[in-house]
Amino acid sequence: MPEIETETGRDEGGKSQQQHDTDMAADSDPESEVFEITDFTTASEWERFVSRVEEVLNEWKLIGLSAGSVNPEKGEYTSGTWGEKCLDINFADFKFYITHYFLKQECEKDNGKDKLEEDSFPLAMQDLLCMNNDFPPRAHCLVRWYGIREFVVITPGTNCEAIISESKCNLLHSSVSIALANSGCQVPIFVQIQQKWRRVYAGECQGPGCAQTLRWSTFAKVVTCPLCLRSTSLSASHFDTLLGGEVGGVEFGKLPFGACEEPIRELHLATTWPHLAEGIVVDNDVYSDLDPLQAPHWSVRVRTADNPQCLLGDFLTEFFKLCGRKESTEEVLGRGMPEEEGKENSDISSALSKLTEPAAAVPISKLSVSNIVHSARKHIRRHRHTDESPLKTDVLNSVLLYLFPDAAVEKSSESSRNRTAPTNPSGIAEQEKTPDYEFVLELRYRWENNYLVYGLAAGPPDLRCCLLHQKLQMLNCCIERKRARDEARKVLEGNRGRERKVSGGGPSDRPTAGSTREVSPGKSWDSWSDSEDEFFECLSDQGEGEAPHAEGDKEGSKVKAEGRLHPQGNMTLLNSTELLYIPVTQEPAPMTEDLLEEQSEVLAKLGTSAEGTHLRARMQSACLLSDMESFKAANPGCALDDFVRWYSPRDYVEEEVEDEKGNMVLKGMMSSRMMIPGNMWVEAWESARKPADVTQNLLPCILHAAILKLKEEESVEDIPSVKKSIQQAISQASKLLHTLSHDYKKLEDFINQLMALETAITQARSLKAKFATCEGGTAEDTEELEKFVSSLLEDPEVVVLGAGQGPAGSIIHRLFINSQRAALLSPMEDEFGLEKKPGGGSNKILLRTCVPRPAPYSKALPQRLFCVLMKEEFRLAGAFSSDTTFF
Amino acid sequence: MDDDVITTLKLLIIGESGVGKSSLLLRFTEDTFDPDQAATIGVDFKVKTLSIDGNKAKLAIWDTAGQERFRTLTPSYYRGAQGVILVYDVTKRETFTRLENWLNELETYTTRNEIVKMLVGNKIDRDDPEVDRNEGLKFARKHSMLFIEASAKTKDGVQCAFEELVEKILQTPGLWESENQGQKVRLGDQEHDGGRACGGYCSIP
Repeated sequence: MPEIETETGRDEGGKSQQQHDTDMAADSDPESEVFEITDFTTASEWERFVSRVEEVLNEWKLIGLSAGSVNPEKGEYTSGTWGEKCLDINFADFKFYITHYFLKQECEKDNGKDKLEEDSFPLAMQDLLCMNNDFPPRAHCLVRWYGIREFVVITPGTNCEAIISESKCNLLHSSVSIALANSGCQVPIFVQIQQKWRRVYAGECQGPGCAQTLRWSTFAKVVTCPLCLRSTSLSASHFDTLLGGEVGGVEFGKLPFGACEEPIRELHLATTWPHLAEGIVVDNDVYSDLDPLQAPHWSVRVRTADNPQCLLGDFLTEFFKLCGRKESTEEVLGRGMPEEEGKENSDISSALSKLTEPAAAVPISKLSVSNIVHSARKHIRRHRHTDESPLKTDVLNSVLLYLFPDAAVEKSSESSRNRTAPTNPSGIAEQEKTPDYEFVLELRYRWENNYLVYGLAAGPPDLRCCLLHQKLQMLNCCIERKRARDEARKVLEGNRGRERKVSGGGPSDRPTAGSTREVSPGKSWDSWSDSEDEFFECLSDQGEGEAPHAEGDKEGSKVKAEGRLHPQGNMTLLNSTELLYIPVTQEPAPMTEDLLEEQSEVLAKLGTSAEGTHLRARMQSACLLSDMESFKAANPGCALDDFVRWYSPRDYVEEEVEDEKGNMVLKGMMSSRMMIPGNMWVEAWESARKPADVTQNLLPCILHAAILKLKEEESVEDIPSVKKSIQQAISQASKLLHTLSHDYKKLEDFINQLMALETAITQARSLKAKFATCEGGTAEDTEELEKFVSSLLEDPEVVVLGAGQGPAGSIIHRLFINSQRAALLSPMEDEFGLEKKPGGGSNKILLRTCVPRPAPYSKALPQRLFCVLMKEEFRLAGAFSSDTTFF
Repeated sequence: MDDDVITTLKLLIIGESGVGKSSLLLRFTEDTFDPDQAATIGVDFKVKTLSIDGNKAKLAIWDTAGQERFRTLTPSYYRGAQGVILVYDVTKRETFTRLENWLNELETYTTRNEIVKMLVGNKIDRDDPEVDRNEGLKFARKHSMLFIEASAKTKDGVQCAFEELVEKILQTPGLWESENQGQKVRLGDQEHDGGRACGGYCSIP
């Protein structure tokens, strides 16, 4: 006390606050009624501390009778949920945490009435004698020692030193004592003293009105440091033989899975002899009645290894790290990626993104694969002797074969085909291959030779898939169009009697007529959509003025009509007798998600003003403009009215009017909104966008595959909790991966979750392997074992049916014997062998009685002593009550 | 102002050309009406903050062109929308009969399954209606949509339409809480999936 009091002067700043606290506390102070003027100005820090504790107890409503429910159910301490409330309190400059722990029980108010007897013990005292929850496997240490369901602990703050000196301990203890007496709180309060790791507590609980006071103390004498005891454990190394993992052997199309080490670290067997009466058991150094094999009650706890190394988890982590790497692919994978010379096509690896990348309209002639390969090969020759390729040819080939399973079939049929570009993977110098380089080459090969990328759904990019998938679909779209165009040209040139080899083949399943349109050659319209740019400019470049001429040319028209699809019924042009033809139009280019996002963003950014609206309309007028141009081409001499009649028929209003001669004729005109003069031209839109890295694009695929793998593995083991987590993981993945820019912190957490799932599955597997071998076991036994294993996975502690005699019990026995034998063999662990019991772990003894204390005429009150005996440590936790009325 | 906005919702307005989509939007956002509203090219975009039961929601409303030819372009903007207003012109039966096509389109291109749909019969100020209110009601019931008749010209029902839609979206759990768009990925268990077979993220073999 004196030590602490000297510190009061330092806390000038906090003084007024503390004063205020004290005033608040005065309200509940019964003494304030006695004296008219209450002066707390001289209150010591200690008094303030006590009143603060009372205040907290008040705040938490812990005062008065603890009208709790009847005795807790068997095992409720483990299965129920524990609540925890925490506050900071100060003793002068010392910071303490005051924490309230309680078992959340269903409110059983109706039980309250018969519980409110005058004489009833506090709940905590009743708990002392309750035998339903002895040795809970997972609970606060105070719960394990005292069997109480509700208590308050005062612990020194994180940056405060431990309460070691006797006087300080006593001071705290008396503070608690006073606070309890003042407030009438029946919940036990503990104070943690000594160093934290020693887990030494002193506490007190006070009974109701008749003033029975309990003095609770925890005596613990630590002989040596309480090392982590191996005694009850089976060391992991002996498990390995049971594992039989999937280690090694990378197979394409399958993700690695499984633990590299034993995920189950220890099995703790607890043997219990409940309700032993006095004098029945002998247990000493030479003889013991307590033979674990004969124990009536066995329960097993699984201690899992912390973060065991698991293959899938490792794989994901590694991959995720690669995503964050700043180095080039070359640096990561090793040399072998040929650099390009020349300005165009400077980066062969970005070929895929070029498809959709803005601002890079590569003319198709320059995009020729032959060019690239040529320069690449030149390069390769130069590097051939100096560089090593990162992958072996056969590995690479199997990768490629996996990615392009149709290639094998193709190759066989290709031998007969005269190929223009020797870009087949096999044409490349063998030792220079890297998968991504080969992948891009293969894609180029496919593009040039009109082979679709295998295994993708036809049609425009599916926005529900990941970006890479969309891009590949995009490539397929392009290939299909190119096919159709080549096809059309073949027909055209066939007419001209020229022979031309056309590679590619299969009929396209898309409406191909649209792609043959080559209106007004040489006149390229700029579009703000870049993918359109690239692709369709290519069209006009390649067209080289050889526009297909519609066969239906009419001699009467001065201008040749082009690109007619078919007549619109028998509608004729307004100013002539020509039929109105629907032109062959250009489809807007399909778009991948990233581009779409960009476009929406740009459009939205223009704001909501009229100006913005106008600008937006202009930006999107490319399609309209192109359609108008094709319409004009197909219908020489047409007017806007004609166009509107086809394009937006409801904007062409026809009504009957009387002409000069008095006849009723149909007169049509455009709706007023179409009369608004609006000049649309194209806003070129440029933007430089950095293409995402290959690994980043692959990440969604990998995670998807990983989840699938987990699901597949889980379905074998059938673990409910994992099943649930996988469901959660799936929905989380969809949220995380749907955005184009990934949140790396969250992704990392997500990968950790997947790793935890993998670990859980491997643990299940390991346990199943251990408990699967039951010689001479019946089907019943097997079933029982399965049930046992699944509850081992779900519950903290599992009762072994039949104890040592049951099927599970015999397996456990054998495991322990094996473990012990292995330990005996290794000379390092010689202290182990002397144990007579398997494992020889800790012994816990719980003594309970009701005796009158301190005098023979005092009331008989519950007493309890809990002892833990371990190899190098023992702990005694006693709760001794004494009558404070009759002593 | 933006501080107390609880969410940003994406709404779509679709329907045949000339039914008054842009006019409805203009009436709602600026409370004006222009009989000569220009035909929309591609998509247009407006923003308005709406207060429903004290909850402020920012609406990003995408107005689309109704012309057939634009239909290759506009669906790109459907993705991520939480609500859609499907408009027809009560004086033109054709705009009503083509509603099914629009619903199919919506089904194909939206990334959400639980998108809230509202049917609006516009131009009830005209005295030459061709589509009866009950027909609209029937259609809306059949396709589980909200329904209202409105007139952008006379203001009737416009504000109400948007408010109802937004309220419904806010009441639909899971539709707007998450910042991220997109439907849930389903893995495996395809047999439970029924109609939409979205087999997950990507199907690169």
